[in-house]
Amino acid sequence: MAGRESGYAYLTLLPVLLIMAAFSLYPIGYALYLSLHREVLTDPLNNPYVGFQNFSNALHSYYLTSSLVSTAAFMAMAVPSVMIFGLLAALLLNEAFAGARILRVAILLPWAMPAVVSGIVWRWMLNGDYGILNSALFQLGIIHDYIPWLSQPALARVGLAVAHVWREGPLAAIFFLAGLQTISPDLYSAAAVDGAGRVAAFRRITMPLLRPTIVIVLIYETIVAATTFDLVYVMTGGGPADATSLISWYAYAEVFKFLDLGTGAALAFLIALVLLAVIILYLRVLRSEERR
Amino acid sequence: MTTYIASRAFRRQAGLWAATLVMLVFILGPILWMLDSSFQGETELLTRPSHLLPQQPTIANFNYIFTGAVPQGLNVRGTLRSRISQEAREVPAALENSAIIALTVALVNVALGALAAYTFARLKFRGKSLVFNFLLGTRLLPAIAVAIPYYAIVSALGLLDSYLGLILVYLTFSLPFTIWFLRDYIISLPIDIEEAAQIDGCSRLQLLLRIVLPLAAPGLAAAGAFAFMSSYNEFLFALLLTQTISSQTLPVILSSVATNPDASLALIATSVVLAMVPPLLFAIAFQRFLTRGLVAALGKG
Repeated sequence: MAGRESGYAYLTLLPVLLIMAAFSLYPIGYALYLSLHREVLTDPLNNPYVGFQNFSNALHSYYLTSSLVSTAAFMAMAVPSVMIFGLLAALLLNEAFAGARILRVAILLPWAMPAVVSGIVWRWMLNGDYGILNSALFQLGIIHDYIPWLSQPALARVGLAVAHVWREGPLAAIFFLAGLQTISPDLYSAAAVDGAGRVAAFRRITMPLLRPTIVIVLIYETIVAATTFDLVYVMTGGGPADATSLISWYAYAEVFKFLDLGTGAALAFLIALVLLAVIILYLRVLRSEERR
Repeated sequence: MTTYIASRAFRRQAGLWAATLVMLVFILGPILWMLDSSFQGETELLTRPSHLLPQQPTIANFNYIFTGAVPQGLNVRGTLRSRISQEAREVPAALENSAIIALTVALVNVALGALAAYTFARLKFRGKSLVFNFLLGTRLLPAIAVAIPYYAIVSALGLLDSYLGLILVYLTFSLPFTIWFLRDYIISLPIDIEEAAQIDGCSRLQLLLRIVLPLAAPGLAAAGAFAFMSSYNEFLFALLLTQTISSQTLPVILSSVATNPDASLALIATSVVLAMVPPLLFAIAFQRFLTRGLVAALGKG
């Protein structure tokens, strides 16, 4: 009986495993090979083993430093904004009124469409010559000249972050809503009986019980922000002056503009390692939180 | 006292509605402005200040994309004429490519995913946790890390610029999530009926097809919807693995329309509006499944 059952088990897993092995084990192995060899497409026949030379090249590149600065600046704006937007939206969605039901459908829309589309939508919103944002601010008398949002380094980063929040905030909101719905309403009624106001209830009940959800969403959104690529491609192309040349955009450019596969692969591994470290760190924090 | 409470409740309602309105403007505003722009002519879009509503609404942009008839505003000599982007005419074909690829990925995901998920949920066999962790572990690598090797393997298989190449790649992205999601879904189903049917002599496959799958239908719908959306929306690999309009998907065509510095803004807006339709319909139709699916996904993550 047990033997027949495991025969069935392996047979049902076989198709999935074949696809996954071909398209994950092999690529990882090949990427490792590339990262240890000189692989420059403009000089295709010269591929000696170079040890960790590619890693060292990637680490010492001027562009790495500048793209890390851009990524950090972008993340410092994008991640907290996504979290705050998500939390506020979730608190609204959790209220029992008609508006919450309308918002519940609407909020899925930005998340549902391709990131490329969000990028184009915001590029048009922020267009320096004919964009609706400039037009609205100008007519309201808030600005006196149209602002070239995406042509100034600092503003372009803000613009990219706004588009990112538009796209990612809704998902965070749905996650937070799920967290809020696990909190028993009895706790709030008990707190109300004890004379606690809304603010006190939020601080003493909602926030502590939501903490595990917050950590998970934070991990997820950190990774998403750190690997943002599609938005950069269509909104700014990494510019102006590399201000929005985020790390995954730089890895892409290393491979497909500078045609250096070896350094590109090494860089990709470094990014993967850092992200793994971030995930492990967060999980540690989460676990020690749970033990408290 | 009652009026005090009533006015407080009223103020609270008003506050909630105001906050909802602000959120709705932020969320829907950009989408509506895109829709609005697609019904304006190029000359009207290039005015300051922008027209909040089209003063001469036109379907000429849509007409150009589907029939090639040049919109009136652009049908003059000089700079405007040069802004007509030929790529915009490829949007319908790209829409078809995207739909075929994403639908295939969704169907294969549900079929292979359910088969594997049931095995993980209910059977005991050697190497179970190893195989399961391997599947989930493959998702830890960021996409950019495996871009070149994927290109190499798809090219070695002769599948560059084909539906099959993209479908295989998207399957490897979506199957681990589908299996993990459906496994949890099946575990949460009551096992009694299965045990009774097993005593009556049903084989594992019969159990899966006749009992588990009908019960798991909402889970299957959610898993299929996720696979559809992630494939429909994917950009980086579509960019790398396609070369011509015979396989280029919407995000690729849209990015090439939009990053062309001379492109007509009206045609960009129209292309984007066309691209938005399928995911928006999908999101509204599957809203309940998607929300529940996302929630389940996070809870276990």
